[in-house]
Amino acid sequence: MPDAARDPAALELLRVQRSRLADRLRPPWWYLPGIAIVWALTFAAPFSSRFSPQGVRIWPILLAVLAVACLLQWGLARATGVAVAVGSLRYPSGRTAEIAIVVLAAATIWTEFFLIDRGLTGVAIAVAALAVLAEAALQQAHMRGIRKDLRAGGGAT
Amino acid sequence: MTARPDPLIHPITRLSICGLLATGADWIEFAALRDAAGVSDSVLSKQSRVLEDAGYVEVRKGAVGRRPRTWFRLTPQGRQAVEGHLAWLAEMEEAVSASTRDVQQARSLAGDRDQPRRVPPSLLGNS
Repeated sequence: MPDAARDPAALELLRVQRSRLADRLRPPWWYLPGIAIVWALTFAAPFSSRFSPQGVRIWPILLAVLAVACLLQWGLARATGVAVAVGSLRYPSGRTAEIAIVVLAAATIWTEFFLIDRGLTGVAIAVAALAVLAEAALQQAHMRGIRKDLRAGGGAT
Repeated sequence: MTARPDPLIHPITRLSICGLLATGADWIEFAALRDAAGVSDSVLSKQSRVLEDAGYVEVRKGAVGRRPRTWFRLTPQGRQAVEGHLAWLAEMEEAVSASTRDVQQARSLAGDRDQPRRVPPSLLGNS
């Protein structure tokens, strides 16, 4: 077996291999639509809480969001062969995008409640639709960050 | 983290496996690890067994339908050993590149010495 220490290219080889691994973490075609569904369900919650009958609660929607999100995570790991903590702040290059995802979600939900309370339902729907697109774009940026960290080995805990 | 060589991780195949598992992924599947490391099924099986026996790698076996799936990840002990070994390799790489730089610098200085010296015109006078 070759000796790593005597091989000056050992670290270079590892960089190439890490790059190969990072390239595998390209989401399949269904991943982005799935993310859009998760956020569409999330941003539908304020409408549901205001317009649905008294007996209908917000919890079924949140449970559905959680179920779809878990399914997406599982599917991504299965399709790529690499399981990463997509929802965590562990990866420095994806941290900004992850924080932006959370801040945008909170801001969108607050804005939706604000607009619905003032009777501007159409505007609230438009805001929600734009937020879904923005969240999908941010998710892509987050995945790019994770790939970058995998390449550099910087996502190690 | 202490930069320290680990004889178990030292062989290039095990270094590749451990280095890939230390990238930050939670778990890596057998085929993904095999393709990224560029080794055969049998080599990966054999070397991962060695690493598992040493307590460096955790193995999770499952199945999707009839297809068996094996997932790997580093244990905390393995992660510590890999990070120490990679730091040691990086130090070696730095030392090698520093000595290469020194040799190049020495050569360029020797080359300068061999060149005929030019006297600035101001020192030549007007004659």
